[in-house]
Amino acid sequence: MHWHSVRSPFYHLLVGRRFGVSSAWERVVHWKVARETERSDQTLTAAPDDFQAALMAATQSQFGASGGGVAVSSPPRSGGGEHSPTTNSTPYDRQCHSLVTILLGAFGAALINGRFKIAGDMGPAFADIVVDGPLLWPNLFVGGVLVGIGTRMAGGCSSGHGMSGCSRLQPVSLVATSVFFGTAVAVSSLLLWVI
Amino acid sequence: MHATNQLRVHGFVDLFGLALGASLGMIGFGDFAELNAMFTLQDLRMLFTFMGAVAVAGALFYTFTKDRPKGPPIHRGIVPGAVLFGTGWAISGGCPSIPIVQLGTGYLPALMTMAGIATGMRAYRKLNARYSHFDTGACSI
Repeated sequence: MHWHSVRSPFYHLLVGRRFGVSSAWERVVHWKVARETERSDQTLTAAPDDFQAALMAATQSQFGASGGGVAVSSPPRSGGGEHSPTTNSTPYDRQCHSLVTILLGAFGAALINGRFKIAGDMGPAFADIVVDGPLLWPNLFVGGVLVGIGTRMAGGCSSGHGMSGCSRLQPVSLVATSVFFGTAVAVSSLLLWVI
Repeated sequence: MHATNQLRVHGFVDLFGLALGASLGMIGFGDFAELNAMFTLQDLRMLFTFMGAVAVAGALFYTFTKDRPKGPPIHRGIVPGAVLFGTGWAISGGCPSIPIVQLGTGYLPALMTMAGIATGMRAYRKLNARYSHFDTGACSI
């Protein structure tokens, strides 16, 4: 038996599309768009012959009954292309599940190792190095906005580019990870230098 | 992908999420002190942990795959996007998964980071459609 022929979940996660938490966020945040995309995808893949016939009919109405020798391609299949930002084999509700399970996993780990504690701040280090008091929440919001814009603009985050992409030695991920890590080092060093 | 196998993949994604949340919490990525110590190069334990995880994932990937999928091309959004992300990570202590881990550990203000991430993503979609038109090739399962 060849390992390459084993279509197990682990194999799919290993060799399929890169895993990205920011992408899960993206699909959950834009859940209406994701839902419409998935419905369209299901419609196309459920009746490929109807889709092809409709395309042919539209082509013939535009170019005449002979069709001008135009060949109509098959409908797109979901999960087939890693580069396409619109196709995805994991629905948005499952992406939402994955975010919830990260929360549950962290909660369980915090309970087990005794770290769980309800806190209204981000800890003494954050107060010393970044900000404390009434500016804490606006600072976190601005930081979150930068993370949200930046990860979408770069097409990935520390898991998508950093973990999956770098482990596959993909040039785009090596560049992205170098830049975002280097920037975080520079900004953190600057914060430490200022205090 | 076959429907049954897809269900298995979804179940595996849930397990993967649990494992990811637990491991990130245990390693200390949700702790700003640990994160800042890594970013200021005072304590490289977390960096080595991250590099170890990348090495293991890479070894598995190259051992078990023949037809390796190509990554998206390098595009104009990579550098500015990564700069914004790195800045946001440094000042909030949260890459997209970390605020969730922080919330699971009990840090309630992490909700604000999460609200910021959602707002940033919504803003980016509109700005990109109107101005920048980057095709970033999003990563996802």
